[in-house]
Amino acid sequence: MIILANGKTNEVSQRTEANGALWVRLDELRGATGWQMKPEGACLGELCVPLPADRREDWIADADGWVWFCYSEFADMIGQKHVRDGDVWSLGSVPEVRRSGLESAIAPDFEITERNGDTLRLSDLRGHKVVLFTWSSW
Amino acid sequence: MAEDSGGPKAVDKWFDRASPTYRCVVDPTHQISSLFGWVNVPSAAWIDEEGRIVRSSEGAYPAETTYRFGIGKVRLGNNAFATATRDWIERGAHSEHVWSAKQLAERLRPVDDDTLLAEATFKLALHFEATGDGTRARRHFAAAEHLAPDNWNYLRQGWTHTGTAYAHLKVLRRTNRLRKTSDKSYYDPMELPGENYRRFTEPEWLWTPAARRLKQLLRR
Repeated sequence: MIILANGKTNEVSQRTEANGALWVRLDELRGATGWQMKPEGACLGELCVPLPADRREDWIADADGWVWFCYSEFADMIGQKHVRDGDVWSLGSVPEVRRSGLESAIAPDFEITERNGDTLRLSDLRGHKVVLFTWSSW
Repeated sequence: MAEDSGGPKAVDKWFDRASPTYRCVVDPTHQISSLFGWVNVPSAAWIDEEGRIVRSSEGAYPAETTYRFGIGKVRLGNNAFATATRDWIERGAHSEHVWSAKQLAERLRPVDDDTLLAEATFKLALHFEATGDGTRARRHFAAAEHLAPDNWNYLRQGWTHTGTAYAHLKVLRRTNRLRKTSDKSYYDPMELPGENYRRFTEPEWLWTPAARRLKQLLRR
């Protein structure tokens, strides 16, 4: 199964009985979506979303010898859009991150590969003025 | 940052011709525009030493530029954004062109459900394009176009999947139709001296002999 998120293509395990939902193994969750489980809930950077304890069985399941997290259920709760075609799931931006990041005027961080093969992380350029400029061939 | 699903192969010749002294990346999944809420190229942001966005502008042409467009040529843009950028680099927060956080927030495009769903759909289309599944790519490009009809990044990248000439024709037709039927503004004014603001990118045609001949033939 493939998850498209944050500009990356991630191949992850597939739960045998997924029933049309996107279940992600807990140990693969961070790499595939950026979110990770912490005592305070599901966290993406400094943003943490508490998970209702009375609905634990909706989110977490033991199956196929692993612990799984129902990401599509979680995404619906936080308003993150997702589209599926076959075994490929595409995740849109996390609304809270997209809105609060830009409204606070702090540039959203990203990591991308430069032409020379180096990794460019925007936050590594703190202390410098940065002009971001997009263009295309089309 | 070249936003191009074709990756380095599609953009390297322009990078090589420019001999850039700045950092260059290719963004085949349009990640940067998604993060900054941009819907066309060229777009640009100024980010200060503390990581704050102090200006975010669409239609930010770096200079007056002439492009080949099929058999014709068009002239686009002017020097207003480049001049203002130099002023910000020299004067920083004292530049009159810097925006406050409030000014930036007022100018951001709204992030509604259709915008977010279109983004996920467009990324799915890009994946199928990259993996050679043209049928599914076209289906999802069309869905993204339906959800976000004002996002020229999605439209033009999707049309280019069919072919460059097809994409150019679609841009011309859509621009002509909008000019006649819509009074909608596609970009906010950049509010810069000498900007020559237009509602959306309206090129000035420079008729080449071949294009002039074709125009005459079509009139017959």
